[in-house]
Amino acid sequence: MQTVQQSKAHWSLRDVIFLAIIAIFFGIIYQLWSYMYYVLAATPLKPFANDATIGVWLMAGPMAGVVLKKIGATFLGEILASVVEMLLFSSWGVSTLLAGAIQGLGSELGFTFTGYKNWGKTGLALSVVTSTIVTFAWDLFSNGYLHYNFMMLVGLFSVRLISIGFFAGVLVDWIKRLLDRTGLLK
Amino acid sequence: MQINPSVLIIILLGIGIPMAFVQSIPVNIVVCMIALIYLAYRRASIKTITLVGLITLPLALGTGWSFIAFGTGDVWHQAWLQVTRLFAYVLLGMTLTLTTHVKDILFSCVLHLHLSPTFAYGLLAAFNLLPRIQRQVKIIRYSANLRGLTYHLWQPQLYFKAILSALQWSNDLAQGMSSHGFSEGFPRTMTYTDTLPKWQWLLAVVLIITYSYFGFF
Repeated sequence: MQTVQQSKAHWSLRDVIFLAIIAIFFGIIYQLWSYMYYVLAATPLKPFANDATIGVWLMAGPMAGVVLKKIGATFLGEILASVVEMLLFSSWGVSTLLAGAIQGLGSELGFTFTGYKNWGKTGLALSVVTSTIVTFAWDLFSNGYLHYNFMMLVGLFSVRLISIGFFAGVLVDWIKRLLDRTGLLK
Repeated sequence: MQINPSVLIIILLGIGIPMAFVQSIPVNIVVCMIALIYLAYRRASIKTITLVGLITLPLALGTGWSFIAFGTGDVWHQAWLQVTRLFAYVLLGMTLTLTTHVKDILFSCVLHLHLSPTFAYGLLAAFNLLPRIQRQVKIIRYSANLRGLTYHLWQPQLYFKAILSALQWSNDLAQGMSSHGFSEGFPRTMTYTDTLPKWQWLLAVVLIITYSYFGFF
């Protein structure tokens, strides 16, 4: 069986297809969430619905990162996921693409800070922190969070940190451990 | 006559990025109207536009309402600003997704935006698997149900099995494509052609500058 390329920068056809299929899988799995999201999203609690589910959107990037262990894999994984979403499941239009780029950048930064040496818990934890900060900063403008009152912002930030921490951190780590046990990624 | 997908992408990004900072409601509405006119001109499906509009409606309601409930300052301005921005983003997205086939978008990016053919063909291969991927998610869940298990979305199993399928299929597809003569990193004969007259780049520049001018000043 062909295995993951050792090169940290080269993107093979297989890597691209692999990432795109993961992105489509995540897009489909997210649709299972959407009912719950929509019920919340039609109320003033919509920003909380956003921030509580944002972690799911952010899974594709770090997942690609820890599986492929490449510079840029996290960023590209997230971008691809957003391209797939926009083209196949678009109910957000262009903002999907922009959010994907911002999220990818945020998640990638965490791994950059480890010098691309740590793809384990430390790397993931850093990635959780950087992506929470970067995506929140973007939403201060793009979703007008700046105009909410301060307590609301504290609440939103905490909910977002928990969501990203669980889905893009803990859950990704659990999946990675299951994958490691299969030995297919060696 | 249609705007080349590459130009359209540049326009979408050139308007979409500053839009996150623009505070003008009328400018958002003008963007919505221009997008709608282009959609009508390209005869995009009215049914789909209406449907997406209806799906967006509760989200817009939630967005607006949240500013009125938790906002500071001029809450009504923020509420309407965010609602119009939401629709502007959605309509801008549709000018690309409802008028252009995925294949044309990808190949246009290869021709005009230096996208590597490996990415274009890789993505195309994965997109074509969409029905199988959808079925696979069902199969994974049903086969768990048969064993009396439910894979919840906060547990790793569903994702884990999905990734295993992705790993296997990407190997198979990449090998299949190689055996059909696809070589990575080598120059390809492009039989695909599209038209991109120079004035379309000019149109992109004019639209983006006009937007920024009215959006920020």
